[in-house]
Amino acid sequence: MGCGVSKSNHFHKTHGKKALRAAVLIQRWYRQYVARLEMRRRYTWHIFQSVEYSGEQAQIKLHNFLCYLMDNFTPASNERNLISHIFRDNEVCRDPEWERYFCYKNIEVPELYSGPHLIFPLTMDQAIGLVDAFRNKKQLHSRYLLQLLLETWKQIRMLPNINRISTCHSKEITICGDLHGQLEDLLLIFYKNGMPSLEKPYLFNGDFVDRGKDSIEILIIMFSFLLVYPGEVYLNRGNHEDHIVNLRYGFTKEVLTKYKMHGKRILKLLQKIFSWLPLATTIDHKVLVLHGGISDTTDLGLLARVDRHHYVSALRPPKNRPKSVAEMSIDSDVSRDLFHNKRRNSVTYPKSLVSRDSFQNRSLQDFSKIKGEDELDTQSVCSPRRDRAEKGCADSVSLESINCEEEWKQILDLLWSDPMSKDGCVPNEVRGGGCYWGPDVTEDFLNKHNLQLLIRSHECKQEGYEFCHNRKVLTLFSASNYYDVGSNRGAYVKLGPDLVPYVIQYQANSMTRKLTVRQSVRQTEGSAIKVLREQLFSHKSDLICAFKKFDSENTGLCFVSVNDWACAVEGVMSLGLPWRVMRSQLVKCKTNDSMIDYNEWFHELAIKGSSADHIDQSLLETLYRHQATLETIFRIVDLDNSGFITMKDFVQTWRLLSSFLKLEITDQAIADLAIDIDQNNDGSIDIEEFMEAFRLTDKKSRLERGRSMFMGTATDLTKLEGDPNI
Amino acid sequence: MPPKKIEPKKPEPKKPEPKKDATPAAKPTAPQPAGLEAEVVAPKETPFDPKSITLEYSNDQIDEFKEAFTLFDRTPTGEMKITFAQCGDVMRALGQNPTNSDVLRVLGKPRPEDMSTKMVDFETFLPMLQHISRAKDQGNFEDFVEGLRVFDKEGNGTIMGAELRHVLATLGERMTEDEVDRLMAGQEDANGCINYASFVKHILSG
Repeated sequence: MGCGVSKSNHFHKTHGKKALRAAVLIQRWYRQYVARLEMRRRYTWHIFQSVEYSGEQAQIKLHNFLCYLMDNFTPASNERNLISHIFRDNEVCRDPEWERYFCYKNIEVPELYSGPHLIFPLTMDQAIGLVDAFRNKKQLHSRYLLQLLLETWKQIRMLPNINRISTCHSKEITICGDLHGQLEDLLLIFYKNGMPSLEKPYLFNGDFVDRGKDSIEILIIMFSFLLVYPGEVYLNRGNHEDHIVNLRYGFTKEVLTKYKMHGKRILKLLQKIFSWLPLATTIDHKVLVLHGGISDTTDLGLLARVDRHHYVSALRPPKNRPKSVAEMSIDSDVSRDLFHNKRRNSVTYPKSLVSRDSFQNRSLQDFSKIKGEDELDTQSVCSPRRDRAEKGCADSVSLESINCEEEWKQILDLLWSDPMSKDGCVPNEVRGGGCYWGPDVTEDFLNKHNLQLLIRSHECKQEGYEFCHNRKVLTLFSASNYYDVGSNRGAYVKLGPDLVPYVIQYQANSMTRKLTVRQSVRQTEGSAIKVLREQLFSHKSDLICAFKKFDSENTGLCFVSVNDWACAVEGVMSLGLPWRVMRSQLVKCKTNDSMIDYNEWFHELAIKGSSADHIDQSLLETLYRHQATLETIFRIVDLDNSGFITMKDFVQTWRLLSSFLKLEITDQAIADLAIDIDQNNDGSIDIEEFMEAFRLTDKKSRLERGRSMFMGTATDLTKLEGDPNI
Repeated sequence: MPPKKIEPKKPEPKKPEPKKDATPAAKPTAPQPAGLEAEVVAPKETPFDPKSITLEYSNDQIDEFKEAFTLFDRTPTGEMKITFAQCGDVMRALGQNPTNSDVLRVLGKPRPEDMSTKMVDFETFLPMLQHISRAKDQGNFEDFVEGLRVFDKEGNGTIMGAELRHVLATLGERMTEDEVDRLMAGQEDANGCINYASFVKHILSG
């Protein structure tokens, strides 16, 4: 440094003032640039989060609608058949039959197969071998996968609803949050922390699948370690361990794509496994770990006793069990009747259809020593109307409550709830399931159960973790770069006998390392804004309606002030975003005296180049607005999971959708749509092609599409930098 | 580009303070409202009388500032408050570029330990922002290039990256090594030289 410094000093002495001035100028500007970047990063974050949550809400609404249809179409109708199969319980209910159904033995492994071979019982070397294989992009053959799933199922159905871990022997437990199919993050955690072993217990807190592209690999790794170290690997169920959610968020698609022949069987088996995943875990009776959260009615004693596997999807209550009750029948008449009389829209307030089954596989957990706990009390929770249907059951089962609805709500709360800063407990309208719970609820709950800390996941956090409720609740999220490259860090927690959580953060950075902060913010912002613009375009009619309301003098001119624009947009979109701050990104056309010409604006927003010019405008809008819903319905309708649906079903689907959305779509309009895409003229439609034909799939768009992480390289990104459309 | 709504008033002549470190010890050279010189410790008292600052923002502008302010609000209950330490950033996010000492002055020269604990609400923030926005000329492309030309020893349009790093980290309102790295990322060529005209374009384009 010597020579350079003295030279510089001399230089500075002679140019002192100027140099200083220059330095201060640059420093000021740099700080401004950083602050602006930070602001953009924050609103980009908000965009992703609000669109994500509204997507979840749409899914639940769709599901409610399908439930309603199930009960209101006559049994023989076509529509009912189309969707009934997703509600059909696993047809084969008895264990030996399951084993036969999923027999892997007659699946042959071809010689060309270069992936890992598994021999059961699994050993540590094999588990590690799997991790290596996946790191090298291999895929596990379906034969071994099925075998692994069978063994996993046998193992986890012996587990209690609430796992109990202890940190005796000075073991530190490693706890991971949501991974969402992001294998790179799991590999990074193993790299930093070591793999599961006798000395290194792990607890994975749900949401292993969906959105990322390697969900099945993550499951395989977790299940393998679970089989090798059953006393050291713990899994909690998340809200995405649910086949109905998987239909929308990409896991179903991933499995069917990777396992074309046996995908359907694999999914069925996974459905069962998910339902058998434990609901929560306690550590030293002091720390409770679960995926979503709690509500003011959460009752660990009750949760310990439920037959958790009856709740295949947290989004609907289980169907009737035929054997139990004389009076209750499984006729859809009865259920329809109940639904008609008592149905409400929100999924958080379901109505009970069913009686309890026998308590064969009940867990051995006993939380009855908790103060205030009294088994008989739970009976009184039944409402008077329900008693009418259930009084038959009450006679034939034990004293314990058969309050199925209550159980279901408890599980829903556990998997879907989020903390809030205000006291109290309110339904979680944003997600459409579970609730928002406040610090007072946390306090009461922890006191009641003699706990000191609640660890949960379920929400993405910029730093990978966040404390709230006076540090009594810790949110832990392990999928870094979740919304996009550079969006957030991931974190995991180590918990030793002192039960003080020690957080480690990371960021999977094969992409981030190559990008500057500016490039990554810009890129993420670009894709968020693009998605938002599409959303705005797809709400064109509603927005025009809202804008017109501001034209109080009925001038008929299509101008609206900036303030009115912002109010109208928020009113229609309900995303709670900083519209004024983002205005220059969203409205590129010139504004004249701070008035926005909205016709001009919609022209600018219009999704270009689609093959849709002759298609009815409102139909098009529907397409864009509900693309994820549409695709979900298609996948449901695609009974054999082939990726194709018949023309007839296609038309049926549209009818379904128009009924759902309360739109008038003529048969002619639907026919027009269909003809465009049935290019091979064989009466069947390729779902992917359809979505692509109307530019409803955008390979770079991350949201709602079972996220494919941007697969390019850094040089691709620098090429993109100049592209205004990215 | 983020919207830049604020039109700064005609600049009053004001020299940037020549100082070697970042502590707010400089004497103010621009006419300041009375009361600025007083040592103010209580967090809510602004160093200048808010009434002496006439707010000239339109309602639209104020709504936009509120949105930005909310983006930086990290209070658990969404109280629309930010810490002292964030004030500078929020002003910058809204298109201003005060020096750190400008910000500290407007906050009433708080103690370092107050920066992350004392809070400012939106009503208190607005006059501060207005005041800062009336500061003199913010520096344009030419000013920058002129300033950097000082370091162009060979007069060929490039400066040594190492030289610039050194300057930024030791002079004026010093930047940390990390900040310097971020700023200079990708700017130096194979010889460690920077073409400063494009460097300035890079900074100004945000």
